[in-house]
Amino acid sequence: MRSTLDFRRPLLIGGACAVLAAGGCKNEEAKPAENPTGAVFADFAKRVDAYMKLRKTLVDSVGELDPTKSQAEITTRATKLASSIIAARAQAKPGDIFTPEFSALVATLIKQEYSRRPDSVQETREDQQDELPDFVPKVNTLYPTTYPLATFPATLLPLLPPLPEQLEYRVVQNYLVLRDIEANVILDVMPNAVPS
Amino acid sequence: MRSRFGAAIIAVALAAAPLGAQVYLPMKSGSVRFLVLGDAGTGGREQYEVANQMVRYGKTFPFTFAIMLGDNIYGSERPQDFDRKFTRPYKTLLDKGIEFDAALGNHDDPNQRFYKPFNLGGNRYRTFKKGNVRFFVIDSNYLDPEQLKWLDKELAASGSDWKIAYFHHPLYTTARRGPEVEVRAVLEPLFVKYGVDVVFSGHEHIYERYKPQKGIYYFTVGGAAKLRRGDTHPSPLLSARFDRDRSFLLAEIAGDSLYFQTVSRIGAVVDKGVLARRGVRP
Repeated sequence: MRSTLDFRRPLLIGGACAVLAAGGCKNEEAKPAENPTGAVFADFAKRVDAYMKLRKTLVDSVGELDPTKSQAEITTRATKLASSIIAARAQAKPGDIFTPEFSALVATLIKQEYSRRPDSVQETREDQQDELPDFVPKVNTLYPTTYPLATFPATLLPLLPPLPEQLEYRVVQNYLVLRDIEANVILDVMPNAVPS
Repeated sequence: MRSRFGAAIIAVALAAAPLGAQVYLPMKSGSVRFLVLGDAGTGGREQYEVANQMVRYGKTFPFTFAIMLGDNIYGSERPQDFDRKFTRPYKTLLDKGIEFDAALGNHDDPNQRFYKPFNLGGNRYRTFKKGNVRFFVIDSNYLDPEQLKWLDKELAASGSDWKIAYFHHPLYTTARRGPEVEVRAVLEPLFVKYGVDVVFSGHEHIYERYKPQKGIYYFTVGGAAKLRRGDTHPSPLLSARFDRDRSFLLAEIAGDSLYFQTVSRIGAVVDKGVLARRGVRP
C-alpha cells in the first residue's frame, strides 16, 4: 500500500502532457520545475502533505484503527477522527487544497479525457448518472452516509495526482471531491470539474 | 392489485419448492467449495429468505467460505445495521465457522475493510488462496494506479493456480445500466494477460452467466437480496440468465473443473454446469 506521495511520477506527468498537448512538456522529467503542470501538481502535493501532517497529529490522539469485530469501535473511532479534523480545520474553505490553478488544470484534463471517450463509454456513463449522489458537497462536512460513493472513472484516475491511501477523489454531481476516507470528511470541492 | 398477484405467485412457488436441497455438485474429496452472493445487505425479508436457502443447501453441500460481491451493507452503517444486515441473516453460517470474504461495492463505506468478519484485513483489495485456487478481491469502485500495479504483480505471481477475480461492477451485462466499460478497459487486459479463468461480479440485481469472453467466464450474481425483475435481456453472448427472483451461487472446484449451481430464493435450481479451466478446455 502507498503511504507516501510521488508527484514527479513520469506516468502521471506524461499522461497530463499528452492530454494537454501543451508545448514545453517534452523535457519535464529532466526539468520538472520549468513545467507549469508539474509546478501546479507540486503545489497541490504540498497542500496535501500539510493536511496529512495535521491529520497525523489527530490520528495520534484517537489512535490507529486495526481490523476489529466491533463495528461500534470502527464507528466510534471514525466519529472521533472526523470531529477532530472538522474542529482543526474550522476555517477551511473551497480552494484551500484545490487551488484555482489546480482546478483549472484538472478541469481541463477531465474535460479532454471525457471528450476522447468512445460513444459506448459515453452512453454507459449517461446510463449511470442516476447513481451519482445528488447532494451539494461542502468543505469540512461529513459525506452523507445515506448516499452511495459513485464509482470513480477508472480511466481518469491515472491523470490525477496520486493521493496518500487515506484520501481519495470522488465525483458528486459535477463536483470533484477530496475526501478523507476513514473520517468520511470532505476536505475540498471543485465545482464544475466534471462535464454534466 | 399487482402486489397481491405477485404475492400469489410467490406463495404458489413456495408451495412448489423442493423439500430437499437439490445439489448437483459432485462433492469430491478435497475440493474447494464456496458460496457466491452479491448485493445482499438490505436487512430486508428477502435477504433472510435467501440466507435460509444458503443454510439449507449448506447442509447437503458443506461449503467452507462465502465470497461477497459488494453492497454488503446498504444505507446507514451503524453497529445495529451490521447486526440486521449481516450477522443476523447469516448467523447460522457464521456460527458454523463459514468465512465471509467481502469485496467493496458502491454502497459500502470503505471502512468496512476494518470489519474483521469481512476479512479484508484493513485493505480495499487483497488476494487469498484456497486449495489450488487463487482469489483476487478487487475494489472496482476506485481503480487507482496503485491497485492496478498490485494486481499486475499478484496475477503474475499466481503461477498455475486457478485464478478467480471478484469485485462489484460487472464487465459484461445486459442489464439496463450496462457493463462497466471503463472498468473493463483497465481490468480485462490484465485478466487476459495472466489467464484469469472466472470473474464474479454483482451490482446488477440479477443473475447472468456469459459465454467465455476472451477466454474468461463472467458471472453476475447480484441478487442475494435486491431484484431488478426483467432486467436481463436475450443476448447471443449469454449462456444463462435469471431475473425473476433473488439468487445465489454454489461452486466447487476439483482439479481442472469448476462445478456450479445457482439457487433462487425459493430453493429452485435456476442454472448449473461445469467449466473447465484455461489450458484444458476442448
